[in-house]
Amino acid sequence: MASIVQPPSVVRHQARYEKGLLSWLATTDHKRIGQLYLYTSLVWFLVGGLEALFIRSQLWSPNGRLVTAETYNQLFTMHGTTMVFLVIMPFSAAFFNFLIPLQIGARDVAFPRLNAFSYWVFLLGGVFMNVSWLLHAAPDAGWFGYAPLTTKAYSPGLNIDFWVLGLQILGVSSLAAAFNFITTIINLRAPGMSFMRMPIFTWMSFVTQFLLALSFPIITVAVTFLMFDRFYGTNFYTIAAGADPLLWQHLFWLFGHPEVYILILPAFGLVSEVLPVFSRKPLFGYNVMVYSGMLIAFLGFGVWAHHMFAVGMGPVADSAFSVMTMLIAIPTGVKIFNWLGTLWGGTLRFTTAMKFGIALIALFTIGGISGVMHASPPSDLQQTDSYFIVAHFHYVLFGGSMMGLFAGMYFYYPKITGRMMSETLGTVHFWLTFIGMNLTFFPMHFLGLTGMPRRTWTYDANQGWEFNNRLATVGAFMIGAATLLFVYNWFKSMRSGAPAGNDPWGGATLEWSIPSPPPDYNFAEIPTVTSRTPLWHGDPGPGPATYPAPFTPVQPRTAAQLGITMPTPTVKPLIAAMGLGVAFTGVISHKNLFLILAGAAIFVGTLYNWLLTPLEPEHH
Amino acid sequence: MTGHHRARWSRFVALAPWLAVALAACSGEPNSIFGAHSQFGHDVDLLTRRLLYLGIAVFVLVETLLVFAIFKFRKHEGNTAARQTHGNTTLEITWTFIPAVILAFIAIPSVQTIFRTQGEAPAGALTIQVIGHQWWWEFRYPEYNITTANEVYVPVGRAVNFELRTNDVLHSFWIPQVSGKRDLISNHTNHLWFTPDSVGAYNGFCAEFCGASHANMRFKVFAVSAGQFAEYVAHQQTGPVFPLALDTTKAAKGAKGAPAAAPATVPPTPAQLATGTWPLDQLPRWVVPATPIPDGLADTMPADAARGAAIFKTAPCIACHTVQGVSAGIIGPNLTHVGSRTTIASGLYPNDHAHLVAWIKNAPEMKPGSAMMALGQSAMGAGGLTDQQIADIAAYLSALK
Repeated sequence: MASIVQPPSVVRHQARYEKGLLSWLATTDHKRIGQLYLYTSLVWFLVGGLEALFIRSQLWSPNGRLVTAETYNQLFTMHGTTMVFLVIMPFSAAFFNFLIPLQIGARDVAFPRLNAFSYWVFLLGGVFMNVSWLLHAAPDAGWFGYAPLTTKAYSPGLNIDFWVLGLQILGVSSLAAAFNFITTIINLRAPGMSFMRMPIFTWMSFVTQFLLALSFPIITVAVTFLMFDRFYGTNFYTIAAGADPLLWQHLFWLFGHPEVYILILPAFGLVSEVLPVFSRKPLFGYNVMVYSGMLIAFLGFGVWAHHMFAVGMGPVADSAFSVMTMLIAIPTGVKIFNWLGTLWGGTLRFTTAMKFGIALIALFTIGGISGVMHASPPSDLQQTDSYFIVAHFHYVLFGGSMMGLFAGMYFYYPKITGRMMSETLGTVHFWLTFIGMNLTFFPMHFLGLTGMPRRTWTYDANQGWEFNNRLATVGAFMIGAATLLFVYNWFKSMRSGAPAGNDPWGGATLEWSIPSPPPDYNFAEIPTVTSRTPLWHGDPGPGPATYPAPFTPVQPRTAAQLGITMPTPTVKPLIAAMGLGVAFTGVISHKNLFLILAGAAIFVGTLYNWLLTPLEPEHH
Repeated sequence: MTGHHRARWSRFVALAPWLAVALAACSGEPNSIFGAHSQFGHDVDLLTRRLLYLGIAVFVLVETLLVFAIFKFRKHEGNTAARQTHGNTTLEITWTFIPAVILAFIAIPSVQTIFRTQGEAPAGALTIQVIGHQWWWEFRYPEYNITTANEVYVPVGRAVNFELRTNDVLHSFWIPQVSGKRDLISNHTNHLWFTPDSVGAYNGFCAEFCGASHANMRFKVFAVSAGQFAEYVAHQQTGPVFPLALDTTKAAKGAKGAPAAAPATVPPTPAQLATGTWPLDQLPRWVVPATPIPDGLADTMPADAARGAAIFKTAPCIACHTVQGVSAGIIGPNLTHVGSRTTIASGLYPNDHAHLVAWIKNAPEMKPGSAMMALGQSAMGAGGLTDQQIADIAAYLSALK
């Protein structure tokens, strides 16, 4: 590798970007951006969790009056919107960012500045949506925002404006990121890494990016119609003008169902990384795992109307969507059995990451089974919009996605921070979460089967719902306590955790071959890959006797020492995102034309300037 | 893993039978979907149970394998080397094929039930038009020319065809103990039909989020014998039983002077009293609302129905409510026979004097977002109705059997 000596001016310029606030604002490093996603999502996770605790407290007693009906509707709308768009998706994005380049042996993503832009736009979208709380105008029509309730005639306030514009902003972020990762995975794989040698997490992420790229345009269209209706008086959903409100439902769920797989596939990927390492066996049926992921994603586009059995689509449509939905259970079941196959015959070690991974299998199974129950329309008509559904999708999204993400966080913590996370606190966190989660959501099955409708501010006495609601509330507070413990563990271990070394767990894939935390250039030399498990050389062995595996500390050399050219840090993506923020603030401020134009000018101007600036410092 | 852990895991496995027992117990619950008080209800119930039992079987299988693997393959002295497998085609085909077969056992009866329950309603079915409003239910029987609200009577043994429409946003019509739900969709007419097969009083709910008081949009369903239904219809078809031919001038004057001498009213005849409505003392506990009255709205003033009748005619009430022969408002529920209902405010409060008074004083306080404005002086100032006027109106409404 030819050594390139940087002129002193460039070195000085770059030093400003290595530490401190500016280094984060101007970063184009996928690992830093991954961490920004992670910490931001963690904040929203606490916010969304707090909303959930208000909801559960309100439902502690029949005819509860802790919050008003209007506030309750805002709480459950924002809880759902937050957990989907501001927690699970960006937690997954944190892993896409941090891991994909490391797993495929690349120095960064294909478009590092676009990547930074995606993050800043996501942050902006989250802040935009939550600022509504300060104005007592948080969105209040549910995360699904069914028309015509969301139209001006029935929701004249700012609430839905915040929701509509917030979703638009978040869509920009997701789409930009999706194209970035697709390009990255296709183009930047290390020599020898064929598609069928890619780590399974990268595979599931790859599939997820296609889901994002194909489904987000649909919600964008749906939301744009609504935006035009609300701001410019069009009639896409205006009932008085004869609109058909089912247009929204079809568009929303045509996005909404693939969205479910956007939320779960990355977690599946993470667990598929964790289980083999702590079983000391390769993933059982790698090919089938890849194909089933693709099949789930593909079928996921053909089942949207199972969210709409109650609208009366007629027996033929109901039957078709019912059977399609049941088909998805097959590849999903295959995944469950292949995970069991991975555990089978292994030497299992129950680290916190492994516990969360196994919990995903146990809990997602329950969500999958109840999912099949409402794949059958006659049965679903008794379940949809009841608490049975609330139980179902929390087993999928908390028991599935969150458990998988927690597994990933414990597993990759050493790689991200360079230190080990406390296993003792981790174990307490796990059991509190596991028990709290079941205590919260299992009784909701019974609430649904005994007729409790969902999205209800309160319920009457004498309905037989009190006991199960109380269990759920106790469980929710257990999850809350567990989460605070997790946050404490996270930051405490950053200072006091044992140093991790390159490969604390005895991992198989490329990310474990480099220092923890990885240097900005990731790989001093781009590796050549000859198998799916390059670090195991055909045999995982027994793994380290204790965690972390013993190691000799090595100070990695800098990019300059190695002569590796890295992208120049730049705040332009941040400024471009802020331009977008100004423009959207203009739209919500009664279509303030000055702000809209100023924001657009900042955005376009910065983009123009950014595109004319080379990514890397010029070679001398 | 320690023995302590083992105990916890085995408790987890012990969940399965408990689950089955708990589900069985569900059917005895007030609003249980396993009630199946209609013919379709039985079909659906059978299907749901099949799904449940198969689901529980799959649950037990997967969790047992998982727990077994956790103990059997945990790392210990006897298990130090993992058996290296990369996959097993036979196994993988097996666990693709078996779920497919199980799903076929679900899919076929599902499709059969779909077609059975979604066909055309039989000729001779009783059509009931259901119109959703934020946040109450309007029921019309075109065959009998009856309009009522929030309480619907259906005859056991005759197919009932609900014609579902909405006046505003989406709602969903759900009687858990009788049938699955069906949405009310703007600019659409939807249908749901079933044949009630046992006498009973049931709770109904709005199951599609519809705004501020979605949680408070409830209704009551009374499945009654054919004879009682005929009685109900006959009664609802007559005008209000409360005698209207009284001297309202005198009554209004009486309202000012205290104590007011109640004007002479003509006692209703026994035939008029036979309302065909569900007897209050036979309502199941869970069909009687227990929503508390917000602070400051309760009242126990002596009231007079005749004075109330006179006030009603000139009060803002008539702009929105119909009382046959008195007013023709159509924005709010028809009140012609409001006194014969068991609840007010779409199933939110019992229909008694105290609740009617509180409701008229300040409806939005009683039910968030209610389109009925607060009429009492406490909320409206001097322009509002006095407590005495409200009490009298309440007495009048209670008398509208």
